[in-house]
Amino acid sequence: MRVIAITGKGGTGKTAIAAMLIRSLVSKNMTILAVDADPDTNLPEALGDTVEETVGDQREFMLRERDNLPPDVDKERMLESKIYSILAERHGYDLLVMGRPDGPGCYCYTNNLLRGIMDRIVKNYDLTIIDTAAGLEHLSRRIIRDVDELIVVTDGSKRGLQTAQRIRVLVDEIGLNISHMHVILNKVTPQNRDRLIELVKQLELEMVGMVPYDEALARLDLEGISLMELPKNSLAQVEIDKIIMKLGM
Amino acid sequence: MADEYPFEISPMFEGERVRKDDLYIEFAGPKSKGFELVRVAEENEIEDDGFTLIGPDISEMEEGLLYPLGMIYRISGALVEPDLEAIVERRNHDFQNYIQGMMHLNQRYDVWLRISKDMIANGLESLEHIAKATMMLFKNELSFIEKIEAVYITDLEKVEEELTKAMEIYAARDERTKNLHDEDVDNFYGCTLCQSFAPTSVCVITPDRIALCGAINWFDGRAAAKVDPEGPQFAIEKGECLDVIGGEYTGVNEVALKMSGGEYNKIKLHSFFEFPHTSCGCFEVVGFFMPEVDGIGWVDRDYTGLAPNGLAFSTMAGQTGGGKQVMGFLGVGINYFRSPKFIQADGGWNRTVWMPKDLKNKVLSDIPSSIVDKVATQDDVDDLDKLKQFLIDKEHPVVEKWPAKEEEKAKPPEKKADEVGQVAPGPGVFAPTMPLDIPSMIGGGGEGIKVTLKNAKISIDKIIITNKK
Repeated sequence: MRVIAITGKGGTGKTAIAAMLIRSLVSKNMTILAVDADPDTNLPEALGDTVEETVGDQREFMLRERDNLPPDVDKERMLESKIYSILAERHGYDLLVMGRPDGPGCYCYTNNLLRGIMDRIVKNYDLTIIDTAAGLEHLSRRIIRDVDELIVVTDGSKRGLQTAQRIRVLVDEIGLNISHMHVILNKVTPQNRDRLIELVKQLELEMVGMVPYDEALARLDLEGISLMELPKNSLAQVEIDKIIMKLGM
Repeated sequence: MADEYPFEISPMFEGERVRKDDLYIEFAGPKSKGFELVRVAEENEIEDDGFTLIGPDISEMEEGLLYPLGMIYRISGALVEPDLEAIVERRNHDFQNYIQGMMHLNQRYDVWLRISKDMIANGLESLEHIAKATMMLFKNELSFIEKIEAVYITDLEKVEEELTKAMEIYAARDERTKNLHDEDVDNFYGCTLCQSFAPTSVCVITPDRIALCGAINWFDGRAAAKVDPEGPQFAIEKGECLDVIGGEYTGVNEVALKMSGGEYNKIKLHSFFEFPHTSCGCFEVVGFFMPEVDGIGWVDRDYTGLAPNGLAFSTMAGQTGGGKQVMGFLGVGINYFRSPKFIQADGGWNRTVWMPKDLKNKVLSDIPSSIVDKVATQDDVDDLDKLKQFLIDKEHPVVEKWPAKEEEKAKPPEKKADEVGQVAPGPGVFAPTMPLDIPSMIGGGGEGIKVTLKNAKISIDKIIITNKK
């Protein structure tokens, strides 16, 4: 029932990290709920998966159809069933795509139903991994509450690290009750390694791992091939396995 | 109890999800057919605790496959009435989720069930176990049920046949539900979801008044308050009715005082002008009074153009929102247009003069036929002058109430001033009968003045306009 959100500046490779984490954990026989909470959905692709409908679509359905439904229909049950019907069930993990953010109009009620439903769904898994954009949209709206840990992925750029720091401020501002915020340095090369470690120290961030720049991974990314194809002994995957150990997952 | 059934039964198994990896068989759901139905029957027609299965049983089913399922329960008891059918039927979901390893989702013709591999491993062979456990829970938890029997159907043809019949029963029930009114219930429901940004907002949800956001009807309030009485939706004992037409209740007034932090102590649910419902900011539609025609216009969130008063939804929403009682403006949910009590304190549809076309079409069948062609849209008029002419041409009921008819202009102005004094309403009210003599001024008097009030919030006891002779 542990809930971990993975975030970071766009392009830092957070989705790739999330996909590699999921892959390793599935092989450990954990039941995993993978949530793609980035409006620019690409976790399914990284997992070699396709998802047709999103939570956002179901929410819109409820808004659109509400006056046509039987007056005493239980809307929470209905939305719950709709969420279950779009949950992609795979071997070892289930995948939920949040999709489009709220449009104009009032989402208070539907989002409130969704909160209860997500609370219940999350309880059914050993681990929930949420891939989310740096704005932490679904976290700030508490659609998924009780996130235990946050992993911020950053690449070899100062901007990536600054985003990490901004996220830390944001977490305080929106009052997320997160026990740990970790940083994973991604795409690390022998050239940028020392400078990055120094920056992490300056920004007082807690680093949990350094994923080296990996040719094999970069090639899959370039071709849009699922990261599930990455050899188990590739540099990046080996480091991910170490991070899993470190985080006690 | 535990020995009788090859599974554990406890409320703690609610919310337990059967994942595909753990799934033995699946029933109904989006990719098959099914339903659940409770019917009231005569006592002598029921074989208590009886179970009939039409179609194959679990032991004859193939692992990993999807089957149709209809569940019909017949109940009787001295206190059992047909109106209870829906309430009892709703509990099937709860009770079947109490069964360990079983997942029941949704309701009515949308039910979706899963049986886990663990249940089979623990000895489940027949749907009879499930039906009997469910019936036991029905009787234990709903003591008015004296006798109950179940018929489960897994044969596709028979499921389809019974589903067709069930659909008629659901439709008849919906008809009855739609006829539920404020006077038929003891409780209304309050909602605090909007108070985070509109702290004085008092949202009251009744059978005849949907929440302003359009999302929560009386049944939603009831369902939510039952599950979590401390949650955002809670019951309001309506108390004594102080004003039948306006919709004023002692219980609502008390809650209003509490919810608004002392700001408001009076709310009339079906009033536009006098102590109207507060407007949060989430409302789907905002109503606006146009004193020039003594009529009310409505504009919805999706309409991006300007209303005849020259304002857009966003402008008026900004003024109206924030959880206040705003004189001359009112936020409502679209379904409120379908209410038979729709602003009945202030003339209801007979006071409505303008709506965007899409909004009008949405509620068209609920507009009384006597008025439907008299409500203008953006296709008919785009400013107040044209609106006025439209209303005159169509003989809209508001026109009769306009104080200044062409003939009256001949009367001595002093006398008119007196009349005005008598009809002027009490202080603080944005006078619905505000006798600004505008029709004659603009219409054809040609005396050289034109008064146009735009975006005005005025409270006036009396205006006297006289000609200097």
